[in-house]
Amino acid sequence: MMKLLFTLIFSFVSIGYVHASELAAESGEDVFFRGWQYRTDIVQSNIDRYNNEMGGNVDYATVTGDYPAIMEQNLMSGGDLDIFYANPSQASRYFDGGWVKPANELPNFDEIKADMYPAMLDAWTYKGKLLGLSYFVSTRGTMHVNLQKLEEIGMSESDLPKNWDELYDSIYKMKDAGVKYPYLPHWFSEWYGISWAYVWEVMNRGGLVADPDTHQPMLTADGPGGDALRDWKRVWNDGLIPEEVLTYNESSYMEAFKSGEYVISPQQIYDLASFNDPANSKIAGHVSLLPYQGQSWGVLDSAVYVMSNRDRSDALESDVEKMASWYGYKDQNGEPFVGANWLNVSMLFSGYKSVMESPDAKSTIQNALARPEDYETVLEVYKNTPYPKGVWSVTWAPIFNSWLKETMTEFLLEDKSVEDTVNAINDKINELNDEYGIGG
Amino acid sequence: MRQNKEISDLKFALFMSLPVIFFLIFVVIYPLAYAFWMSLHKVSMFGGLKFKFIGFSNYLKVVTNEKFWDALFVSIRFTIESTILTLLLGLLIALILSKPFKYKTLIRSMIIIPWSISLYGCGIMWAQIGRGQTGLFTAIYHLFGGDDKVNLIGKNYVIELLALGNAWNLSPLVAFFLLSNISTIPKRLYDLADIDKMSNFEKFWNVTFPPLRFTIFVFTCITIVMSLKLHDFIFTLSQGGPGRVSSTLTYEIYKLSFKNMQLGFGSAMSFYLLFLIVGSTLMLYWLWGRRLEK
Repeated sequence: MMKLLFTLIFSFVSIGYVHASELAAESGEDVFFRGWQYRTDIVQSNIDRYNNEMGGNVDYATVTGDYPAIMEQNLMSGGDLDIFYANPSQASRYFDGGWVKPANELPNFDEIKADMYPAMLDAWTYKGKLLGLSYFVSTRGTMHVNLQKLEEIGMSESDLPKNWDELYDSIYKMKDAGVKYPYLPHWFSEWYGISWAYVWEVMNRGGLVADPDTHQPMLTADGPGGDALRDWKRVWNDGLIPEEVLTYNESSYMEAFKSGEYVISPQQIYDLASFNDPANSKIAGHVSLLPYQGQSWGVLDSAVYVMSNRDRSDALESDVEKMASWYGYKDQNGEPFVGANWLNVSMLFSGYKSVMESPDAKSTIQNALARPEDYETVLEVYKNTPYPKGVWSVTWAPIFNSWLKETMTEFLLEDKSVEDTVNAINDKINELNDEYGIGG
Repeated sequence: MRQNKEISDLKFALFMSLPVIFFLIFVVIYPLAYAFWMSLHKVSMFGGLKFKFIGFSNYLKVVTNEKFWDALFVSIRFTIESTILTLLLGLLIALILSKPFKYKTLIRSMIIIPWSISLYGCGIMWAQIGRGQTGLFTAIYHLFGGDDKVNLIGKNYVIELLALGNAWNLSPLVAFFLLSNISTIPKRLYDLADIDKMSNFEKFWNVTFPPLRFTIFVFTCITIVMSLKLHDFIFTLSQGGPGRVSSTLTYEIYKLSFKNMQLGFGSAMSFYLLFLIVGSTLMLYWLWGRRLEK
């Protein structure tokens, strides 16, 4: 018996040792890790753990300002950058620029691939290469509902809309019930604000902005793209939307919803945790979400840890791969430590089954929600969320996002026509396709 | 017999200036020449850096671009408002600080703080002040019984808010120069004005203001140049928005060059901005500066 126990312990320690030695840094050189500003305390503690336990020299810093443009310039100049955050739309462009080392080149790629959900593998694969490892996955545009406010105006959950057409009609009813601004749309002034709101609304209504394979424009004035614009114009011109939402950044946008002034708003699915946290929100415990009832809400938003392919020594190259694997997949104990940590702390979903199907995941998510029954609703919404390959998995995606932000804002502020705006979007896609030699 | 050869004063001066000349070539002339060279090309970053010579097409493209003319108008409006506000605020601060009052030294030191704050930080602060949800003006409005929000980052007032923030940042510098001017005015001139029974405004207009004119002219030029080339404050406060409402030429150039990576087109537009800056200061000198020199 003792012999068996000793053998088991020895085997366990040996496996741990093998994993540790496989992931330990060896070059002694710095690995430059960069990201945008989100829970930097958590990131730093993850990095500290890697540096302490794996002997790494990871230099972590955040990038402020225009993240996509700054990273592109960094990559272009071959600056000090080894691993960084990117949305798949940015990563596709960086890949075409020749600045990205795909995750296919990691020694444990097959294991990573097997653990990844097929939808995420598809979203993060570009031209046959996996662009990076899972940072987070979310449904941006999940329709959050302030149940307290809903009750105050004498409405119940049965009055809530099932699709976009019903949503705009319900705003008028809420207004009549006494709420000045019932709806806070995702029209804020970031490159992923109003532009993405339009892209997902078109998709939720059954349309596409561009073809997923050829990237040719798909909008028509009498189709879902035109319908969305007509509804936007209607609620805007009727004074149902506060003008200042067009100037918010994302944190102002979240703060506005937390103030309790609005009944309904499309937000990140993981922000249910933040909105229901009494330390952070005036509406804690009262924020639920609209279920999937035949129409999806929002779009699959995600980020990956991408490796640059700048010139590095062989030893440093190996360290970058080890760090990417440790941070973006599993640690020396074979645990998806970073992914599980994000789920636990911020309810950030992961692209890995090992994180999302772990015994703790369900209770972690349930604890962050207003009601236990919302857990199933969250999974259902998440499962039915589309990904806009036509406008995101393409070289010009970041340029299009910025351009669309201005175009949609001008459509509202300058009262431009639906037909002209649809044509302008199609023309812009054609122009970008020509410029980058796509589809022709 | 060997003669000692002395170099002329001019040659010596040129020799002594060589480091400065090399420095200027490195930091001014080379980037300027490179930008001009880029403006004559279509620059492509993908699949390696590529340049295709297209002559002055980019310059023509700029003047036929609707966004350029919108941005030009926004830049001019923002610059005029900034300049007027900066000089008025600077003059007001200088006049207040020239009078004796308690804690004058402390307040004089504190007044310079806005100028020492980075424009990036200023942008974030003024965005908070101007935003309806969190803003100072909403708070004041509520104090007087209002229950709506006062959003100054909307399409109607965003340029005025930018100009106010810019003036807040620049005016302490103007104030200090004007204050040093005011301190050189002999006190007996004010005594004589008292004998002539001049009103306070007449004293300001006939005694205080004349020696300040040249400083005001210099700071008008400086404020125009600084406002026309301002970027980081606009970037953090409004990002040129909502839409393109506050998109100045610098912001358009930034978008073209660093977001869209159209470096040739962006360079061509930047030369129009350079012409505007040089042209406006020359015009100011022609209309105003020459008269002050006489």
